[in-house]
Amino acid sequence: MTDLSQSQTAQGAAASEQPTAAGSLRRKRRIGEVIIQSFLFLCGFLSIFITMGIVYELGKESLLFFGSRQWENSNKPITQRIEVDTTQFAVSTSGFTLDIEDLIRVDEELMLITGLDETLVTVERGFDGSEAVAHNAGAVIEIATEATLREFFTTTQWNPQIGQFGIWALATSTLLTSAIAVVVALPLGLATAVYLSEYASQKARNTLKPILEILAGVPTVVYGYFALTFMTPLLRSIFGKDVVAIYNTASAGIVIGILILPLVSSMSEDALSAVPRSLREAAYGLGATRLETAVKVVVPAAFSGIVAAFIVAVSRAIGETMIVAIAAGAGPAFTFNPFQSAETMTGHIVRISGGDLSYDSLDYNSIFAIGLMLFFMTLALNIFSQRIVRRFREVYE
Amino acid sequence: MQRKLYALLALLIVMSMVLAACGGSTATDAPADTGTDSGDTSTDSGDTGDDAMDDPMAMYDPATVTGDVVTAGSSTVFPLSERMAELFRQAGYAGNITVDSIGSGAGYERFCVEGESDIANTSRPIRDTEVESCQSIGRNPIEFRVGTDALAVVVSSENDFVTDVSMEELALIFGEAETWSDVRSEWPDEPIQRFIPGTDSGTFDYFVEEVFDENEEPILAASNTQLSEDDNVLVQGILGSPYAIGFYGYAYYAENEGALNILSIEGVEPIRENVDNNSYPLARPLFIYSDATILVEKPQVASFIWFYLTNVNDEVVDVGYFPASDADLLAARNAFLAAVGR
Repeated sequence: MTDLSQSQTAQGAAASEQPTAAGSLRRKRRIGEVIIQSFLFLCGFLSIFITMGIVYELGKESLLFFGSRQWENSNKPITQRIEVDTTQFAVSTSGFTLDIEDLIRVDEELMLITGLDETLVTVERGFDGSEAVAHNAGAVIEIATEATLREFFTTTQWNPQIGQFGIWALATSTLLTSAIAVVVALPLGLATAVYLSEYASQKARNTLKPILEILAGVPTVVYGYFALTFMTPLLRSIFGKDVVAIYNTASAGIVIGILILPLVSSMSEDALSAVPRSLREAAYGLGATRLETAVKVVVPAAFSGIVAAFIVAVSRAIGETMIVAIAAGAGPAFTFNPFQSAETMTGHIVRISGGDLSYDSLDYNSIFAIGLMLFFMTLALNIFSQRIVRRFREVYE
Repeated sequence: MQRKLYALLALLIVMSMVLAACGGSTATDAPADTGTDSGDTSTDSGDTGDDAMDDPMAMYDPATVTGDVVTAGSSTVFPLSERMAELFRQAGYAGNITVDSIGSGAGYERFCVEGESDIANTSRPIRDTEVESCQSIGRNPIEFRVGTDALAVVVSSENDFVTDVSMEELALIFGEAETWSDVRSEWPDEPIQRFIPGTDSGTFDYFVEEVFDENEEPILAASNTQLSEDDNVLVQGILGSPYAIGFYGYAYYAENEGALNILSIEGVEPIRENVDNNSYPLARPLFIYSDATILVEKPQVASFIWFYLTNVNDEVVDVGYFPASDADLLAARNAFLAAVGR
């Protein structure tokens, strides 16, 4: 390394000594710069590579979730012997309830239920190419659970263990907490940004901005307990204990709002400060007041930057995990009532992977499907924000 | 300017620390108390431990064994194992002993499938399939009975209408019923808020087995249900509303006795007498499982289990459970002696 720099300075010295030599004017390949350039390229490439890896892994495991047929013991044995050609037989009353069109498995044979009468089941034998054989009384029925994309997006109950795969039970709570967070953070954050950039004296700004940014440095687990032990009791004392459940999405949402507040205010403030001074001066020159200048000139001029700040903050709110895991609830529920308990997508992933999750179980695969859904939500937001930023971008100078 | 800023920052930090200290005190009270409690008893049990150990058991003296002990499993057995681990350390054990609270099913998985743990703490007997997977990795699980847990069905002390339920009503409350009045018409027309242990826990499996005849569909499909492997989350939830109900191991009820009401099942109260004579319908055994090869190869594990079995009865009531019968405990000790070849 030292050799290298020495040789470079030697070259440099040689060049200055002989300015007239034709070769010295040609662009020189500087080895140091090449190294730096390729290092920077590698950094960029690595982050893209990692993103691709994550998407690949998410997609692969999600495919397992959607494509696979899982068998679950229904704890419901057959109560009579079934011959090769029997299509109707009696089952025990215990265990799972069967439905028409359920796919069941007895030993190795698959059967499709075509009729039900109390404990008497009518089936199509030897389904899906399996071989119809005789079964003894007491053989166990296994039920197939299969997640389909259609069920994933059109139903509202999420319980993979009993064959309910409606993502909306989780997605709505994520949307709800994020919406509440946005309602809290956007007005407050924007107002703070306008104050900091348009009204505050240099001194006040230098004091306030770092303090605001401390908020961003608080660990989210602390925010979580803040929500549970401060915000929830506060909400309950305002709206009444019967209205507000102990774990609720409102308190989690409000605290996420506090979490993303510095993000909004800081980034928006940067955007506002970047508006050229001449614009403000022109507004004042036309007789506008400070407020008019801020609201009608500076904010519209910085609109694309503000939107970018909002989108980053919203993505953060959607992905926020610890606060919702602690304060929002621990059971999937399809509800739009912010005072009810409801589990978000991230909260659900945390909870079910909290115990030891067995590999290749439906629960295990389901968390990747949820993860992929989260990924698509933030991706959509990012694309949307890029569109907006491009459309409303104001270029000065 | 700069200086003022630092002063302000310092003030903020100090203030937040003070606030944090105030806020934290309630949370840390309970563990701190139990810590000192066990500290008191430790010297006693240490002595009794020494007395109980005859010469042949000297190789299992906690002070002489080395190496780590890894235990994992039921959140119900967790407080008991945690206490025993603490006393074991106080008796002179110098290695690392970990007790993970991950649920019985996961405990078996770690013991029988991954083979990462030396001991599985569980609140239900091992299943045949789990024995098979254990054997497939060369382990033969040995069962040691360490106590009895009565599953507590609890409501907040603000709840003044429920004191006793039948098993059928329990199935309704945690299953199909939407409101309390769906269960009994004289109860209020308010939605039932349910707080139950997560599906990885032995407590959940046991409840489904006893109350729902092994069909987990109704309990998982019930609305307003919060599931958590963390029993404190459940306690907090139940404390939150007069219309909340939940169930978990007796120890967590004992810890929050004042604020929670425990229900009688079929008119039987969960007290020692009823648990011993098996009349309380939701009482269940607590176990630890290990394997003979592990006991021989890792004397520290054998030492811990022997320590556990000789001292558990002094501690089990204090932790919040009921002692196992003398016969069961004797059987456990004999199983241990047989496993280590004595």
